[in-house]
Amino acid sequence: MNQLLFPKFKFSVVGVVVCLAGLVAGSCSYLQPKVSFNEEIKPLINKRCITCHGGVKRNGGFSLLFRKDALDSTESGKPAIIPGDAEHSEMFLRLTHSDPEERMPYKEDPLTKQEIDLIKRWIDEGAEWETHWAYLPPKSDGSPSNKKSFSGFFDFNDFIQNPIDDFTYAAMEANDLEPSPEAEKNILLRRVYLDLTGLPPSADAMKRFLTDDRENAYELVVDSLLASNSFGERWASWWLDMARYADTKGYEKDASRTIWRYRDWVIQAFNQDMPFDQFTIEQLAGDLLPSPSNEQFIATAFHRNTMNNDEGGTDDEEFRVASLIDRVNTTFQVWQSTTIGCVQCHSHPYDPFRMEEYYKVMAFFNNTRDEDTEGDFPLLREYDSVQSLQVNEIVNWCRSKNQKDGDEVSLFLRTLEPKIHPHRCDKFVNGSLMDNKWIGIRNGGSCRILAVDLTSKSHLLFNYWTGHKGGSFRITIDRPDGPILTAGKLEPTEGQKAVTVPLDLSKLKDGVMVRDLYWHFFNTSIPADRSVCGVEWFVFQKPLPLADPVVSAKYLNLVNAKPLSTPVMVENPTEFRRKTFVFERGNRLVHGDEVKPEVPAALNPLPKGATADRLGFARWLVHPSNPLTARTIVNRFWEQLFGQGLVTTIEDFGTQGEQPTHPELLDYLAIKFSVDYKWSVKKILKEMVMSGTYRQDSRRTDERDPSNRWLARGPRVRLTAEQIRDQALEISGLLSRKMYGKSVMPHQPDRVWQTVYSGESWQTSAGEDSYRRGVYTFIKRTSPYPSIMMFDGSSREVCLVQRVRTNTPLQALVTLNDPVYMEAAVAMAKCVVNEKSPIKRIAGIYQMATHKQVSMATLEVLADLYEEALLNYQSDPEAAFKVLSCNSDSAPEAALSVVALAVMNLDEFLTKE
Amino acid sequence: MKSFNPEHLRNLEASTRRHFLKEVAGGIGSFALAGLMGCGDNKLMGNLLGENPMAVRPPHFPGKAKSVIYLHMAGAPSQLEMFDYKPDLQKLHNQDCPPSLLEGKKFAFIRGVPKMLGPQARFEQKGQSGAWISENLPHLSSIVDEVAFLKAVTTDQFNHAPAQLLVHTGVPRLGRPSIGAWATYGLGSENNDLPGFVVLTSGGKTPDAGKSVWGSGFLPSVYQGVQCRSEGDPVLYLSDPEGINRELKRSTIDAINKINGHHFEEFGDPETATRIAQYEMAFKMQISVPDVMDINREPEYIHQLYGTTPGQESFANNCLLARKLVEKGVRYVQLFDWGWDAHGDSAGNAVDIGLKDKCRSIDRAATALILDLKQRGLLDQTLVVWGSEFGRTPMQENREGKQMPFYGRDHHLEAFTIWMAGGGIKGGTTWGETDEIGYYPIQGKVAIHDVQATILNQLGLNHEQLTYQFQGRPFRLTDVAGKVINEIIA
Repeated sequence: MNQLLFPKFKFSVVGVVVCLAGLVAGSCSYLQPKVSFNEEIKPLINKRCITCHGGVKRNGGFSLLFRKDALDSTESGKPAIIPGDAEHSEMFLRLTHSDPEERMPYKEDPLTKQEIDLIKRWIDEGAEWETHWAYLPPKSDGSPSNKKSFSGFFDFNDFIQNPIDDFTYAAMEANDLEPSPEAEKNILLRRVYLDLTGLPPSADAMKRFLTDDRENAYELVVDSLLASNSFGERWASWWLDMARYADTKGYEKDASRTIWRYRDWVIQAFNQDMPFDQFTIEQLAGDLLPSPSNEQFIATAFHRNTMNNDEGGTDDEEFRVASLIDRVNTTFQVWQSTTIGCVQCHSHPYDPFRMEEYYKVMAFFNNTRDEDTEGDFPLLREYDSVQSLQVNEIVNWCRSKNQKDGDEVSLFLRTLEPKIHPHRCDKFVNGSLMDNKWIGIRNGGSCRILAVDLTSKSHLLFNYWTGHKGGSFRITIDRPDGPILTAGKLEPTEGQKAVTVPLDLSKLKDGVMVRDLYWHFFNTSIPADRSVCGVEWFVFQKPLPLADPVVSAKYLNLVNAKPLSTPVMVENPTEFRRKTFVFERGNRLVHGDEVKPEVPAALNPLPKGATADRLGFARWLVHPSNPLTARTIVNRFWEQLFGQGLVTTIEDFGTQGEQPTHPELLDYLAIKFSVDYKWSVKKILKEMVMSGTYRQDSRRTDERDPSNRWLARGPRVRLTAEQIRDQALEISGLLSRKMYGKSVMPHQPDRVWQTVYSGESWQTSAGEDSYRRGVYTFIKRTSPYPSIMMFDGSSREVCLVQRVRTNTPLQALVTLNDPVYMEAAVAMAKCVVNEKSPIKRIAGIYQMATHKQVSMATLEVLADLYEEALLNYQSDPEAAFKVLSCNSDSAPEAALSVVALAVMNLDEFLTKE
Repeated sequence: MKSFNPEHLRNLEASTRRHFLKEVAGGIGSFALAGLMGCGDNKLMGNLLGENPMAVRPPHFPGKAKSVIYLHMAGAPSQLEMFDYKPDLQKLHNQDCPPSLLEGKKFAFIRGVPKMLGPQARFEQKGQSGAWISENLPHLSSIVDEVAFLKAVTTDQFNHAPAQLLVHTGVPRLGRPSIGAWATYGLGSENNDLPGFVVLTSGGKTPDAGKSVWGSGFLPSVYQGVQCRSEGDPVLYLSDPEGINRELKRSTIDAINKINGHHFEEFGDPETATRIAQYEMAFKMQISVPDVMDINREPEYIHQLYGTTPGQESFANNCLLARKLVEKGVRYVQLFDWGWDAHGDSAGNAVDIGLKDKCRSIDRAATALILDLKQRGLLDQTLVVWGSEFGRTPMQENREGKQMPFYGRDHHLEAFTIWMAGGGIKGGTTWGETDEIGYYPIQGKVAIHDVQATILNQLGLNHEQLTYQFQGRPFRLTDVAGKVINEIIA
């Protein structure tokens, strides 16, 4: 920790005054500064005490997690800490006890004399607790507290570009380091291109920049990159790891899921510079905004990226809860850098979150319609223009009769919600819940639909299929032989079909509207062991619009249409609302107390007027008083640009995480982002890349700061999986700039997909779709695209906030042998084939790839390789023919391709320098 | 170039090695391989950077086993036709299942009241130890004194994918590292030319839970299992592009490494030095992997022993490959054989028909693996584990309440059999016993986490100490459970 930025000792003013008085008298007990809880006591407690006296174990009834608990009576009946009186505090006495059975830490080495003394002084000083830095709101006046009048031989004017540099320079100075000079223009341009757009600059862009002498040439480039479409694609790749976006549902079947509209929404949001608070609210609760647009619904697919288990016999509720837990954990990971997952089973061992608080947060998320059904419901249905007109017509007609019912009809046509899924049925007689998914009843059999609210309902609408004539059904009330609520025929269907029948509510004489129903199926003409039909879902609906035969027909047409459908969030209406309980020891089957939605007490309160639902929760996350969101996000941006965060544990701002290296800079950026820039992602990124800190040369000139904590040189990190492939395609001219749409399947080796039961296969995309940016590559969770995985991409099973960068031989095999790199190499060779001499061609290839002038030493090595390859292909034209994809057998071109392949494997190519 | 001639390539490799590589390699030593990574201490990811993450690391305590070969029968074979002899079940054959066994239970497919299904194989006691074993496993019968049987293993997942994830990653959901990843993270690898954790599959499909069962989860991806295949490239992207021969590839890598060497001098980034070493290893793997995956050069008596036919993807071939891999110092070899589900919906899925064929396809090879390891003196240091994700019910399956066309059994969680051999395991033991119909354990019940703790223990790793910091807390394979099964340790 930088002591200058984060002073270790806080002098007590009173102490100093008294001390001065005392000095006169010749003695002073106040010479020592006040003990800091956060810096001296908390780390000591975390290391030596908290395992037995924390949130999990509270041995002897003593816990040091919260002050209130720590000062409470213990099992002995006495408190262990008496503020101001260490000599009578059991905690202090136990540290120094002579009996090894009594002395703490139990059966461990004793604390050092110095440590014991610290604890004593801390108790004597009142045993104050301090709030952990991350839970205090960020504070900044825009410059470092120890800003110097920069002096010395270093010409700092070259370095200081904006306030960021004031902070980093102060920290460098405190650590006796000096900034590096600015990187060469070509290196800097490639860096900022890769960081902002994920792609290298074109040769033209490079030439323009190198010859642009204007003062603000760099800024102009930055502005143009922020405005380019590639910007959104690059930052979407980053966000989608956190959103655990994938094109399949996960688990055993891992069948495909159509959710690419969400990926496109993220790209567009970044490109439009949607303010991050809005970006947050729409993803967590877009469906709860007033009159949500399709886009706002699509945004909520963020939390529909949880996995869905379609395997036969699985308990849908078990996996619904698994998704729910994942949503809570992911939300806290992504926005709060907080590991709330621990709190499922017990209070947090180190951080101030109590177990019931986990379930209070879960209560915000526990009332969405999704129930781990194979259909991935709810789905937003995006109708074509003709259908949309029909939807509007019906909805307007309904609204003209009854506004609220019209709104419900609108929601139903857009999402087919709220509907009832077969897993709510039980008491199957001569039939079963087929594969735990569909109602499958044989002739004369039945099942029970539990507790249906029939208030104001007039129709049953259900989706079924059968290939047989002669089927019929009947629904009885209360008992299998009870009064008949409705009955009807089951015409054979082509595929699945939704139909409607009226209900006879006159049978509900007693006025009790919530009833168990029994659904019977008949077809005497089919074999006894066949189901009459399959039913996927059903819903009891109000008279609008089904009571009107003309509108009803149009309505049913729309219900049966198959528009593009994307999993989204839809909130439960009152009759479907779930209660939330504490799960004892994290076991969902053992319910503790019921809880209501509430945010953790250690953080800011729910803002005034915020509703106790996902929307209120989302507003709470981005409220100015939330101490974590803005810090978390700017830290992640910083990590993306600089290779590591200002807090290096970017997933954890809790007391077990690292302290920020530059706490004042972190707060400055958090406030700049959330207040001054009103959550503009582009503005905060611009501020970062405009800084002198960012623009430094990345050469390591001395060994004093090997991990570059103090930022005295520029970032140097290996490119991401997507960037490596995109870059090869871009420099060779193969990259397609087509945006959006269904995920694509570029070439992958045979036999990579061998998934059980799904019957799906990898169908290599045709034409330019094989050369799209990596962000559009189809991701199958149980068998992700291998070359992306080898470069540390995420399989998107769970939220990943940081890709660990590895360096393995399998990566070398990808860039040396994956056919796409050979293809790119051949294309590069073609680009330079008209240069006059082989040396010029080689130099041209090197420059295309790295944007650098080739050095003599490098040129010599590449020329040797060229010579050897040339001789080889001159004597073996067939090999040249193969290299050049059977288009030519030109030995020079084949040899140049080998050189290009080598260049694409250079460290400087694979690295952002 | 799609086919390799290893002999030729080995010669080439030796002759084209260039002088400067030695210099560069010398330079790497001081940067790339300096220091060992302590298990459980990954506070700064930077610790991993610039070091060889596969360097051999000392175990927590001296372990008996250096390597593990794990034979997983995906789909869940019936213990009642293989290891768990239940004559009383025969007496109940075709009777209605008593309600006491059904109340409060949930099955994957059984609905209503199923019939009991007697054992569909004859059993005999074998060896000095007198272990019961069925006629379906005549070869394994001959070596039961090498084997320790765990007959009362339990799980809590009744679907294949989550149950497989529990067995291999410690939790029934995706996202955690597999045992092989934990083992290589803990101990590194003894072989620099081959991956430390190799996966071989047979039966035509990968396991239900997909590649996650050999994934690295949140551990660095370098620890994930590398699938070696009998058809196509043995490792993805292993063969050179068309038209680039070995000499040219050698020269290409030499050129890359030479320029990277200059670059390293200029920028001083230890990642560059690591990259130079990894390109070297990639080149070596292009020879060593096809070499080790080639069983053509094995003598005839070995093919006889295992029942292998070169060139096809089979469990027998994979057993022989597993032996070759551990012989070369590979830490963890994971085999998956798909096709053991036995619901009775087809002859191939019947416990009296298809199961016998599956047993035949593994019996000789699994036995040969143990005998071969033994004759090479490798059995003591190689732990062989045979098992699956759960067992089968003593009841006959009645999917959707209907009679099935063949004898099948549903998924059973309460008790199933796993066996281990070699690697410090006490041969000729049986631990755990089920009731008279094989439904519940009555003695020696062990959980999946106990099996995992035992495997790590044999490697010299304490399952409670082998941790990794992720999302702000330390994670381990056995979560908050796991107890070493001392009863089967020699």
